[in-house]
Amino acid sequence: MAAGDVLLSVHDVWQKLGDAQILQGLDFEVKDRVRPGVVTGQVVGLLGPSGVGKTRLLRLIAGLDQPDRGSVTGPDGVALPVGRVGFVFQSYPLLAHRTVLDNLCVAGEANGLSSSESRSKALALLDRFRLSERARYFPAQLSGGQRQRVAIAQQLVKQKTFLLMDEPFSGLDPAALEDVTKLIIEVANMDELNTVVLVTHDIRSALLISDTLLMLGRDRDDKGRVISGAHIQKIYDLVQMGLAWRPDLEMAPDFPAIERQVKQIFKVL
Amino acid sequence: MAEAANKAPGRSEGQPVKGRAALWRRVLLPNQLLERPFLLMVTAFWLAIALVIWTASPWASLPGPGEVLHAFGTLWWQQGMGPELFATLKLIFHATVLTVLISMVLSYASIVAFWRPMVEAVSKLRFLGLTGLVFPFTLLAGGGYSLKVWLLTFGMSTFFVTAMAQAVLEIPREQFDYMRVLGASELRIFWEVVVRGTLDKALDTLRQNLAMGWAMITMVEGISRAEGGVGALILNQNKHFHLAEVYALLIAILGVGLLLDYLMAVVVRVVCPHVFLQRVKR
Repeated sequence: MAAGDVLLSVHDVWQKLGDAQILQGLDFEVKDRVRPGVVTGQVVGLLGPSGVGKTRLLRLIAGLDQPDRGSVTGPDGVALPVGRVGFVFQSYPLLAHRTVLDNLCVAGEANGLSSSESRSKALALLDRFRLSERARYFPAQLSGGQRQRVAIAQQLVKQKTFLLMDEPFSGLDPAALEDVTKLIIEVANMDELNTVVLVTHDIRSALLISDTLLMLGRDRDDKGRVISGAHIQKIYDLVQMGLAWRPDLEMAPDFPAIERQVKQIFKVL
Repeated sequence: MAEAANKAPGRSEGQPVKGRAALWRRVLLPNQLLERPFLLMVTAFWLAIALVIWTASPWASLPGPGEVLHAFGTLWWQQGMGPELFATLKLIFHATVLTVLISMVLSYASIVAFWRPMVEAVSKLRFLGLTGLVFPFTLLAGGGYSLKVWLLTFGMSTFFVTAMAQAVLEIPREQFDYMRVLGASELRIFWEVVVRGTLDKALDTLRQNLAMGWAMITMVEGISRAEGGVGALILNQNKHFHLAEVYALLIAILGVGLLLDYLMAVVVRVVCPHVFLQRVKR
């Protein structure tokens, strides 16, 4: 793979849900970001109002659903099969009858790892995510933040190039939000090809973490009424804008302006 | 002086009064949490009330506690209540094993569209009364012990299948998708999400069905009395109008039923400890 190579291509994707057109001619690509001397994965923020079809799009990328028209392809130019793309659902589902450690082991075994390999990887991940003390707990005994970290760790037992996250910042307190933000960057930067696509309403967090920002929305008619069928309304290449990979981004003089601009666009999506 | 007047005699501080008042509020007001010792005290209170009513009962059709206790001794030592209870327990155990096997296979089969109509049909059979089924079941099972086992199995299975098929149907789609994105095979998903994921509900359903089966047992044992059982025993006592013995048997049936229910609760607690982490006790 070389800089600029396409890792994910969503081309002319249309999808209906019942009679309603949800996605209409969706087009975008995620390309390999390269920084000399630094392993840099990709973080793509997907912003859009509620019900616009963000989760639908994630399901298409994960291979859980098929588009009515168009294609979603990976680096090889073929559709990504189910199981090759990690997906952290909004409600962080876990196996309620298994302990935290067992939940991670199941993920390893489901991907063909041996029991001992799964266990050692699971323990290493729990340590890394500061969850070792919770290894023997059941999901019902975890806080929302801990549950989220287990859900992410579970997707990492078997290294996958793509990780999709549905609303990873919802319901988090400021400390947990910072924690998760760091975690996502860490996951993305584990490998040059790693690509995290996150769906969120949190404009600030999306700006701080992403290298590309996609804004999904629907058009409006002359009277201002929403026309069904969402597509990408705007793409921000934050690397090109000099707004990516900066730990001090929040303090940057140009940050408030771009945040305002994104908010303005978001309001009319 | 004023402070001294406010102090009630015998009370060193105001706190105990406040504590007792708060306790009464918690006992009498809705949606209150009550610690186990206080809950036991409330239970003991109601048991005492029931005992007083029973002891002071003026009705001739209700034998006193002493008579019932005496009848219990007679039944146990002279009429073989122990072996009869054992026969009944053997019957319910046999029927329960068959119920679990049949119902679980049918319930889990409901995830395959092909089997769904059949599962639905079995579930609908719960509206058939057992009495009308005695004749066809006698022809099929040949009477005696087998007839009783199959009647009980039928009675319990139809309800078990209904509850379990519903539990399987209610598994959120997200749970299947989540396992798929983890890379699990459909067989693994079936095991983790359908079998293991609903095991607590299966045990809870079994607990309810065991109670239903136990309630049906006297009726079923009355159909064929040759093998004995508490059902046959109680019908014999009824025939001779031995009221004290009938009540003693009813109490024994209730006691064993409660014991079985308690044992099932212990099994659920041991096998599915995670369930109790989500339940709020009132």
